[in-house]
Amino acid sequence: MLKLFLWLKYLRKKRIVLLSILAVTLSVTLLIVVASLFAGFINAFERSAVDTIGDIVLTPPVKFAGYPLLIERLKQIKGVEAATAVLSSQGLLHLGQGNVRAVEIWGIQPAQRAAVTGFKQSLLKTGTSSQPPSFTIPDSANKMGGYVGIGIITEPNDKTDEYDFGAAQKFIGRELVLTTGTITSAGSDGQKQFKRKTVEFTVSDIVFSGIYEIDKSFVYLPIEELQKILYPDEAGQIAQQVQIKLADGIDADAAIAQMQGIWEDFAAKNLGWDSYLIKSANLETSRQMQSQYVAEFRKQMDVLLLIFGIVSFSVVLLILCIFYMIVITRRKDIAIIKSCGAANSSVAVIFVGFGACIGLAGSLLGTISGYVITKNINAIEQRLSIALGLKLWKSSVYMFSKIPNEVDWNAAWHIVFWAVVAAAVGTLIPSVVAAMTKPVDILRYE
Amino acid sequence: MYKVILIIRYLFKKQISYLASIAVALCVFIVTVVMTIMTGLLTEFKQKNHNFVGDCIVGTESLVGFPYYEDFMKILEQSDFVEAVSPVIKSYALVSLDGTERSRGIEIMGIDPVRHGKVTGFGKTLHYNKDNVSKVFEPVYEPALAGCVVGVDLWLARDAWGEYSYASEPAKAALAITCFPLTAKGALARAGADIVNTKIFYYSDTSQSGLARVDGSIIYLPFDDAQVLCGMAGTDKRASAVYIKFRPDVKLAAGREKTALLWKKFAEEKTGNKPTDLLKAVTVKSWKDYRRMFVAAMEKEYTMVAIMFALVGITTVCIVFVVLYMIVSHKSKDIGILKSVGASKADVVELFCGFSVMVGLLGSFVGIICGWVFLLRINWIENWLFEHFGFQLWDRTIYAIGGIPNEIEPKLLAAIILAAVAVCLAGAFLPSRYAAKLEPVQSLQVSQL
Repeated sequence: MLKLFLWLKYLRKKRIVLLSILAVTLSVTLLIVVASLFAGFINAFERSAVDTIGDIVLTPPVKFAGYPLLIERLKQIKGVEAATAVLSSQGLLHLGQGNVRAVEIWGIQPAQRAAVTGFKQSLLKTGTSSQPPSFTIPDSANKMGGYVGIGIITEPNDKTDEYDFGAAQKFIGRELVLTTGTITSAGSDGQKQFKRKTVEFTVSDIVFSGIYEIDKSFVYLPIEELQKILYPDEAGQIAQQVQIKLADGIDADAAIAQMQGIWEDFAAKNLGWDSYLIKSANLETSRQMQSQYVAEFRKQMDVLLLIFGIVSFSVVLLILCIFYMIVITRRKDIAIIKSCGAANSSVAVIFVGFGACIGLAGSLLGTISGYVITKNINAIEQRLSIALGLKLWKSSVYMFSKIPNEVDWNAAWHIVFWAVVAAAVGTLIPSVVAAMTKPVDILRYE
Repeated sequence: MYKVILIIRYLFKKQISYLASIAVALCVFIVTVVMTIMTGLLTEFKQKNHNFVGDCIVGTESLVGFPYYEDFMKILEQSDFVEAVSPVIKSYALVSLDGTERSRGIEIMGIDPVRHGKVTGFGKTLHYNKDNVSKVFEPVYEPALAGCVVGVDLWLARDAWGEYSYASEPAKAALAITCFPLTAKGALARAGADIVNTKIFYYSDTSQSGLARVDGSIIYLPFDDAQVLCGMAGTDKRASAVYIKFRPDVKLAAGREKTALLWKKFAEEKTGNKPTDLLKAVTVKSWKDYRRMFVAAMEKEYTMVAIMFALVGITTVCIVFVVLYMIVSHKSKDIGILKSVGASKADVVELFCGFSVMVGLLGSFVGIICGWVFLLRINWIENWLFEHFGFQLWDRTIYAIGGIPNEIEPKLLAAIILAAVAVCLAGAFLPSRYAAKLEPVQSLQVSQL
């Protein structure tokens, strides 16, 4: 009770204590915001892979035929929700006079792809429709439809970093020419040659995933049509990759082990591949595919937090100064308490406890402000960009259109804990000075 | 004189003032280390971009290119501010290792290696032909074959130390490079024919510009070959850009301005000729503007870190404030005596501001010395951490960064010291005012002694 009374008294009478609360608040806010933004970016990075290529990806060393059968078998594994095939190539998209873009071409099954990834939500026109996505062009059944990434047809505004969705929508229905090709054995000498293939398609929708690199480089066509263009002589339905979606809570490693068995059996019996080729296939989760980058991002986050943690050590020094001042100016209080029978440890506890309370108060305020700043980071960034006249966050640099604004509570609790400890540590020397105070020296009449 | 004596006395006799100096030293240390590394990275990155494109670029983003570039190059070469010029073809292509079925999209850059080496740092980026750029497109195993220079990250993998394992000489490897030629109107050339412009080039060297995007996506080809492949050869020869190097005494802005004027005049003269529409799309940019998209991102990160450090510096202001407040409180008698013997309010403010400046200077000195020692050993520390714990500041297999930059910039140090002193002065502002307002009659009365 006495301690509480003294704490409240010091808090009320010694306004300088508020400075230490302010310093703790500032440091905690900064650390929480940095940790949350970094963690949010890492989470978004991992999620973007799942949204783009599904949970698990099977990539054989060369293209293979008969993917519908393989997908059928994979779907029989418990926990596999959906799977879809991809046939890829590269090419040049001719958008108009002299306007040519290098693009990545993906032959896809739109409905199946929507079941595996978050693809449907990325479609500007049909994203909100209850129907599964399709390449069909209304009233033009003969024309081949295709999707184009929004970044291919328009650039984000330099100041706002936002795409002109109106201009992009106007591309829907336009006919574009895509030039691609394959290397085939041709000529009398059997030498391999590059055969140009020109694909005309009508834009049936625009893809806006919010991931700059994806939006800037991908053109999607029906897998069957792309096969006919690229590999007209190939028998069976061919693909280069199978992307798989798992049900929630399924152990990916166990699922991969089962898939490996199915793949090996399929490749040996249906494709007639030798064991070397079969084993060369890559079967891994999308998270595993990015693990090296994620580990690097996490390391950078830790280094940044360490740097700011070291700088925040000056808060400990500040608390030390303030408490030293309190102890020096409140020696009479201490002497009276000790003359009433308080032990040295009790006196020390008063100041250490007060320091911890200041740390707690500062941390709570810091957590609140860290939460508010993180949640509103996009609005803050927008205001700052307007004020400074330059865009701070650009999707072309940081991949995503929006700054991830989730608070990393795990990091936040750690930061709060260490802030309280640091504040208590800052009071240790003043507490010892207080505990060593001799009432007889302080309370003498002269 | 008394002020100096008092400042030194307060600084060394009052242990609490050590705390203020330690706080300043801590901040100065971390800011020196982090900002030196970031400055080094930024400077290096800018230099690499400058080396990649030269001083000024006259060019177009359109893959069609622009005509009359040879005429304009002659004008530039005759001018008194240009040292060298180099025409460049830029386009996209599909490349496959000959004999394989897989192909991948890459960027191609058609250059005249000798000209390009004079304008940019291209020669220094080569591995096998560093000293003989003219032979760069002649594969050492069969010089008569058409050679190509491959961006190092397309060809070799970086090891954990950021190094590449080069063979003693380039291995014989054929690359089938396929371009999609465009007519001057931007349409696909030879649309009727089935075979596109494909040519086999042989690996003759690698280029390591140090720019990840460049080294991971560009293949350099002989200018004439690239021109044919992209459909820019023929009667109206076209190029994508002309890279320019100014004479050493020409300032970048002035050189760009002169080039822009020359181009404007040249384009106007050509208005009567066809196809002039392509000339309208041509821009004249300094290397800084041309590579702004890449450099600006890094500059922004640099600024953001500096702002965050400035926020943390507020704590140091508070510390100096508390320390000064304590000293003023305890030394009210000194102040009273000083004022009673004629010291003015300004003298008292000067005394405590001087003290705070000394705190800032002492903290800066200690922080900079510690930072300097740490930076000197930073690469050794990183290597040791990597050998024993597998820790690297940057994974060199991902980032095209060599050693950690540790060259201290005098300008940066001066800025840090000034900032530290300013922070201390800000912290001293209120306590100094309080001290100046103290009346000797109050502080020297018997009850206070």
